Amino acid sequence: MTSAIRRPDFIGSYNVRGTVSFYGATAAEIDRSAFTLTRVLRTFGFAAGSNIMTISMVPEIIQYGGFERAVQMLGLYGLNADDSPFDAGRVESISRQFDPVAICGVAASTLEGLRMFGHDAEKVFAGRTVWARPDAYAQVCSMPNVDTRRVVSIGPALALECAHGCLHYDSRDWTMAEYDGVLHLSSRYDRTEPLAELDTGIAGSISDRPCTCGVRDGVVVPA
Amino acid sequence: MAHPEFFDPVETASREDLDRLQEGAIVAIAAHAYARAPLIRETWDAAGVRPSDIRSVGDFVAKVPIIDKDDVRSYRDRHDDPSGGMSASVPGETVSIGTTSGTTGDPTPVPNWYRSGSEEAYFRDHWHIGLRPGDYFSWMMFTFRGGHRRRYYSEHGVSEICFSIGPSEIPRFAEASKRWRPTSGAIFSNPMLLMLEAYFEKSGDDPVDVFKSYKGAIFGGEPLGNRLATLTRSWGLELFETTSLGDVAGATMCRMHDGFHAYEDLAFIETVDPVTREPLADGEVGELVVTTLNDRLTPLVRYGSGDLVQIKRGPCGCGRNHARYDLLGRATDQIIIEGRSILPREIMGLVEQHSETRAGLFQIIRTDREMDALKLRIGYDRARLEVSHEVLRDRLHGMIAEAVGVRLHVELVDEQDLLKLGPPHKIPRVTRQ
Ligand SMILES: [Zn+2]
Ligand SMILES: [Zn+2]
Repeated sequence: MTSAIRRPDFIGSYNVRGTVSFYGATAAEIDRSAFTLTRVLRTFGFAAGSNIMTISMVPEIIQYGGFERAVQMLGLYGLNADDSPFDAGRVESISRQFDPVAICGVAASTLEGLRMFGHDAEKVFAGRTVWARPDAYAQVCSMPNVDTRRVVSIGPALALECAHGCLHYDSRDWTMAEYDGVLHLSSRYDRTEPLAELDTGIAGSISDRPCTCGVRDGVVVPA
Repeated sequence: MAHPEFFDPVETASREDLDRLQEGAIVAIAAHAYARAPLIRETWDAAGVRPSDIRSVGDFVAKVPIIDKDDVRSYRDRHDDPSGGMSASVPGETVSIGTTSGTTGDPTPVPNWYRSGSEEAYFRDHWHIGLRPGDYFSWMMFTFRGGHRRRYYSEHGVSEICFSIGPSEIPRFAEASKRWRPTSGAIFSNPMLLMLEAYFEKSGDDPVDVFKSYKGAIFGGEPLGNRLATLTRSWGLELFETTSLGDVAGATMCRMHDGFHAYEDLAFIETVDPVTREPLADGEVGELVVTTLNDRLTPLVRYGSGDLVQIKRGPCGCGRNHARYDLLGRATDQIIIEGRSILPREIMGLVEQHSETRAGLFQIIRTDREMDALKLRIGYDRARLEVSHEVLRDRLHGMIAEAVGVRLHVELVDEQDLLKLGPPHKIPRVTRQ
């Protein structure tokens, strides 16, 4: 597939089964992905002026740039830390100093780093909504007093769990299909970098029932 | 169409115009900071200074009290305010909150607007290097400064290739450089260059080919040592050193490589005696004191940066009249032994000359500003050690003692132990123990 939109503003990446591929997008493509995420964020009813921390890496602008923008669009304040054991000290410090209502993107690397620096993850996350990545989800779920939710990078798309327990993705920009239990991603529109049936390596299926939260965006069910 | 030589016309403003611009801007930011930043108000009130007392640069330098990191920390602890009284409350303007690197202690919040002084400054610098609309740019960074908010490059038609910082990114960086042929890059650092060196040695990939499209790259974090400067020149890569302009913007060298340019429409800079805080004339070595002229959310006013510098105010060969300065080191890193001043920058050049210690990882043990002897802890690479521990230590001792000419103690440690001490981009160069 070739695109009418030739130049990406940002070249980030996505990861399929450990293989990292470059992926380009325009600023407009990233910014428009925020609208779906605002709908999902709204289901939590966070008060305007609350802080939300995002844990990600610079090349994840493709997935997390839209999330960050959604935070701004709702009058919330975003703070950032790297998804790396070395930056876990910042996660603890931001959590203690800024009391964020939510933390998005917690991965096994952050949990490992918190251990390395002698911080108790249960304490850092207590009383907050935590969107955990697949490699950290089970562990965060086992922590008492944490509202654990899922966040999953499905190729270049970001799926985010709502307050009613469904994992939503932007079904206007992306078509999701399941083959042999694995999610495949296609772009519905012309993009800088169109995708057709990308094997995302993410095990799961697609739900055909609308979520009770009232958000109309599509829902995937992780395996 | 042909692009202008300078990104912003203010870059070539005359000295007279810059002075006039600063007269107005400094009065405005001083009044704003007093009204909105609690630490500034508290400090000025204690000194009996009111915004109406500041009608010119002359009034400003004569009357406004200097603040520094310790004042910010003290305010933070007294008032339980993570910004240390420096986040101005300007409803509706804050877009997100970045944080400082936090090499020592808790990171400090830096409220972000849609653009920052640093973004303004760095885009001018990359334009100077040769970056133009339609070009690609390699961006290697952490997310903590402001996450994925940056839009300056895309607004100007430049495509940004995004990398994090770590060994697994190096082959991707080489691949992307050959695929998109970027014009410039940032922010290169000592650890990144060492990772690149190891990658080129191991993979056989040709550094000259990887960097063939780069008209330059911005290098920061720490001083660029001679060994890596020579190495990168052999790759055909011109590095432009940068440093933080007292936390209000970046200051980067131009093609003349004769000091860091401070854009004087973004910041007012001066030097003071690091101990007495009395103003010094341009050209004298002193502590750099910086005032933002445009950051309404963190209005640092007469902020003592802790950097020892020498300001040069004359016209530069690059065509700009904006001030430049030489950076000698951190005032708090300086030690005086038998009347001789020693700063980490000098030791770096000596340590990295040896194969076993080429990473330049070392610490100065500093228990006081004035000391009887220089105490160094130097990290070596176990894999490159071909002589005994003692032979290496004696060799380093002999060479460093001769160069600095003061009493010296050298302790050797595995460099992996030093790397554990800090975030991957830098380790504390000075330690109390
Ligand atoms: Zn829902
Ligand atoms: Zn110049």
